[in-house]
Amino acid sequence: MNRNRPYTSWQSRCFDIANIALMLLLMSSMIIPFLNTFALAFSSNLASMTPGIVLWPKEFSVEGFTTVWNRMQLYLPFMNNVIVTVVGTAAHVLLSSMAGYVLVQQGIPGKKLMISFIMITMMVPGEAIMIPLYVVNRDLGLLNTLSSLIIAGLVSGFSVLLMRNFFQSIPGEMAESARMDGAGDFRIFATMYLPLASAGLATVTLFEFVSRWNQFTPALLYISDQTKYTLQIALKSLIVDTDSTSSNFIITTNVRMAGIVIALIPLIAIYPYVQKYFVKGIMLGANKE
Amino acid sequence: MKAIVKYRAVYLMMLPIIAYFLIFAYYPLVRGFVISFQQFRLIGDRPFVGLDNYAQVLKDSAFWDTFANTLIIGGSILAIGFIMPIALALLLNEVFASWFKKIVQMVVYLPHLFSWVVVGGMWIMMLSPDTGIVNQLLLALGAEKPIGFMSQEAYARPVMVFTAVWKEVGFTCILYLAAIVSINPSLYEAARIDGANRWHLVRYVTLPQLVSTMKVVLMLHVMSVLKMFDQIFVMRNGAIAGKVDVIMMYTYQKGILEFQIGMATAAGFLVILATLIITFVIRILIRYDEE
Repeated sequence: MNRNRPYTSWQSRCFDIANIALMLLLMSSMIIPFLNTFALAFSSNLASMTPGIVLWPKEFSVEGFTTVWNRMQLYLPFMNNVIVTVVGTAAHVLLSSMAGYVLVQQGIPGKKLMISFIMITMMVPGEAIMIPLYVVNRDLGLLNTLSSLIIAGLVSGFSVLLMRNFFQSIPGEMAESARMDGAGDFRIFATMYLPLASAGLATVTLFEFVSRWNQFTPALLYISDQTKYTLQIALKSLIVDTDSTSSNFIITTNVRMAGIVIALIPLIAIYPYVQKYFVKGIMLGANKE
Repeated sequence: MKAIVKYRAVYLMMLPIIAYFLIFAYYPLVRGFVISFQQFRLIGDRPFVGLDNYAQVLKDSAFWDTFANTLIIGGSILAIGFIMPIALALLLNEVFASWFKKIVQMVVYLPHLFSWVVVGGMWIMMLSPDTGIVNQLLLALGAEKPIGFMSQEAYARPVMVFTAVWKEVGFTCILYLAAIVSINPSLYEAARIDGANRWHLVRYVTLPQLVSTMKVVLMLHVMSVLKMFDQIFVMRNGAIAGKVDVIMMYTYQKGILEFQIGMATAAGFLVILATLIITFVIRILIRYDEE
């Protein structure tokens, strides 16, 4: 990439070979866990419990999936997760880009103040105030509602600054002249700014989708009613809690791994897009003010 | 004043965002600060008790145990998780076949996408002494008996550090690769004309150009280490809890399980204070704001 001709000395050759070998080793350490998980998920109950190096299904079967989906009713937390992810992501993207739009308008009194107001929220680690947040949600009567999970992280300073960075490349005169022509700000935002920042929207959407799908701590804190469980919480008790044997059957390894595979699939589906936008996004977001 | 009237629609658009941050960021912060000085009860009055909650936390040996665990586990993750991605990015940049490079990037990035429930669950299964693939491999390589990675205290912390680095190394590496791509090629040209060999190029051109990325990465990591929670919550168990429970775990246990809201909140504020001090010190040390 930075050089156009490979090195030809024997030391360089040796290094290249060792380097490739190292990369292959590293890649296997990343791939084998996933192969192992998929292979076990598609093995039969009995085969998944026998020892061995499993990289391909032993006695191919979808028993694990039918058990976890129907008998253990993973579809309930799965649907809850879909609701929280879709609604939460849509609201997050809309609000963050609205704030980003406001913060690129020129000549608004108090803009600096609003920026500091938002940036201060980024300095406080959310986990450190989890108990007060729990108290606030309790006082508002939000415990055991999916709304509490949608609200958790409804806007983030990171996304606002990211959208602001994307909007900054749009000339400010555009909004000004549209305003002269009598267009309302929301219309300028929705019909002129949003379409021009589609890469920004994609970045924030993907970020938020992934983190919503994986959202764990808020669900752990606010939800105790089993019918409101989200996927991660249901999986935690399915996979990790060793005493998760229900009254009439033992949870075999293929069932647990099927649960994991179900949680992996939506993320793997969007993975090609993630690669494209994530790096650009995080570097823009980490930009020093 | 005229400007405010003129831009009232703009302010209106900002309103929901301000309201959200007020209710779910500033208010809990202030509320928590107040609670940390109160004897918190669900019903009845909540008398102020001064610094009692803080004193109780600071006198609690369990707090100091979790504090030590946070320092040891977090510090190791910080150190190893800082060096590994740089090394990986530099090595990967030496690979000439671009298709191979792309595949490596795609693969190492993968674990970053998944939650700790998924990643932790996978590793718990793989490290299990009976059927886990790691022990099966060790046995095949001649180990005498399987190792209980998740039940022996000696392995507990290394397992946490290893899995944390394993999960994030690819993601951080890609940040560096993005920075490497944007280095001006003429720098390499000039160095080569001056007789630089392959190692010199890495040492004197690539590495210095990565310093500002390193600063960003370091800041991001420092902030995340102090608040680590998910990973430990998912991967801990009774046998190793003493070695791996971190401060956030302490807060959760005190607040949610024992309902000692006052103490839990005080512990949370100690973490906020520590975060502010540490980030401030590091910002100065690495001259984050200069350039």
